[in-house]
Amino acid sequence: MKRFLAPLLGLLLSLVAVPTFAATTLTATSPPDGSGENLDIAWESSDSPAGWAVLRAKGAAAAAEDTWTVLKLLAPDAKKLSDKVTTDVWTDPPADAYRYELIALSKVPDLQDVEDATALVRASGSVAATATGNPQGSWFRTGLALKNYGPILMLLIILAVGVMMWKFTEDVRAGKEVFIRRIPGIDAIEEGIGRATEMGKPILYVPGIEELQDIQTIASMLILGQVAEKVAEYQSDIIVSCRVPIVREVADEVVRSGYFQAGYPEAYNPRNTRFVSSEQFAFCAGTNGFIYREQPATNIYLGRFFAESLILAETGFVNKSIQIAGTAEATQLPFFVASCDYTLIGEELFAVSAYLSRDPRLVSSLKASDWIKVFVVASILIGTVLATFGVPLVINLFSISGG
Amino acid sequence: MRSTLPLILTFVVGLFMVGEFFIPHWRYHMWTQVFLEWGFILAAAAYVLGLVNLVQVNLPKVLNKEQDWPYKLIMLAAIATMMIPGFIGGETRLQDGQMYKWLFDFVFVPLDATMFALLAFYIASAAFRAFRARNLEATVLLAAAILVMLARVPIGENLPVIGTKLVQFMNWIMDVPNTAARRAIFIGSALGAVATGLRIILGIERSHLGTDG
Repeated sequence: MKRFLAPLLGLLLSLVAVPTFAATTLTATSPPDGSGENLDIAWESSDSPAGWAVLRAKGAAAAAEDTWTVLKLLAPDAKKLSDKVTTDVWTDPPADAYRYELIALSKVPDLQDVEDATALVRASGSVAATATGNPQGSWFRTGLALKNYGPILMLLIILAVGVMMWKFTEDVRAGKEVFIRRIPGIDAIEEGIGRATEMGKPILYVPGIEELQDIQTIASMLILGQVAEKVAEYQSDIIVSCRVPIVREVADEVVRSGYFQAGYPEAYNPRNTRFVSSEQFAFCAGTNGFIYREQPATNIYLGRFFAESLILAETGFVNKSIQIAGTAEATQLPFFVASCDYTLIGEELFAVSAYLSRDPRLVSSLKASDWIKVFVVASILIGTVLATFGVPLVINLFSISGG
Repeated sequence: MRSTLPLILTFVVGLFMVGEFFIPHWRYHMWTQVFLEWGFILAAAAYVLGLVNLVQVNLPKVLNKEQDWPYKLIMLAAIATMMIPGFIGGETRLQDGQMYKWLFDFVFVPLDATMFALLAFYIASAAFRAFRARNLEATVLLAAAILVMLARVPIGENLPVIGTKLVQFMNWIMDVPNTAARRAIFIGSALGAVATGLRIILGIERSHLGTDG
């Protein structure tokens, strides 16, 4: 009996003296297609502490000057954490390696106003697992690890558009005709300029309310150049109303260029290219003031618009102006359709410049994007059929994530 | 050279910024951020030019007492009224008790909200014209609009017998035909944006480069 009693007692004592933490594994891995600023921390444990805490220190090996940082306190059922290792890559670039400690908390500490949070966290539990992670940035986003082929497809589409633009430009130069469907809204721009000239009234041009880097504002600036040239040819006046100062500066140069190209540089009046206000509705009120006071015969709204679209267009309607609008902002299109005589929908906005100039190189870009559209429509049809039968190939082809 | 240098700069910077989508590495990203910050600084500097433009356009009209000059005087006075307390208040201008904050909260915000509120009346007048059943398309638009409007208000939802069906039909209109049309616009716009971007980066489109372009 004594033979069994001693080991049994020893076992019981060991169960009381040693904490009952089960085996815990901790991993710190760099996410695929990541920037090298993040590490995915994940752990598996059969233990059930009061909570988890994750600590981080720079470097692969322990050093005397190690500074541990408490990343986060987590709930008992938490299994992972995404750690951004730096907030400013200029002053604190990501290191080659980081060490992590997973603390199984016996009680959740209150870290508010605590001077040494690391010490408090350590005192509130014990180290369940450690891991070392090496953040690795990707120099090309493939999406392959996540089966998201979107980035590669996007690159191929851009290259395909570039190659097709070159091919179609060569075709046009060789004398091949390129068909562009008639877009009444664009034809109406010239009619509107003619009408304004006949009536002796100006044309109002609003390039949207977005910043210059917005692609719709850029497209609008390109169109403005063509419109200004036509206005100069007709010896009429154009008022450009801008919400963003830098857009006004560019618009000023673009309109000046239009007058120059038309051969009437002296006719340009820089005071007609106006900055109104950077506030949305103050800009709207100011532009409405132009419509009421200067009574333009034609109003052209091309660019990105938001809630002011209908206020502007309705004021123009009351003023009996011919109104031509164009935006890729789907939420504002119904307002323009309801209030304007002509509306350019989505992609038509980006086609105006090429349509007006008939420059073969610009026209070739329209044809190239039309072919990509054929590809997208075919992909939608094929993808719908495949997804119906449970094959996610086309869905993955167009998926973009990671980083 | 006056047009060549901007074209080269556009090509190099444009290509570099497109690369941000394909190269997620932080060493690349830190430089694209620098370019973006330069852009923000340039845009911020242009506000001074905007102010100059406002004064250039409006001050002569006030001095010469041209048509509607009192409005322009009010506008110039409003600029000064906001700007002076802003400069005096400095970094504390947005704290309670500061004149700039008071002007912003009790003058600017109500005026802004007033302009926004006008939208309701403009929507009513635009809808009145848009929903006239002049042809088949306008009639379909009218019918769809009435059904969606009715289903979105409590009285429509609670209509006996057809209330639930009305909401289901409204959801179908919004989720199927509406979403399909919006996605078509998005896809077309995105491809148009890619083509426009390439035209500019490759120097095919030059009208933005000014008088020598």
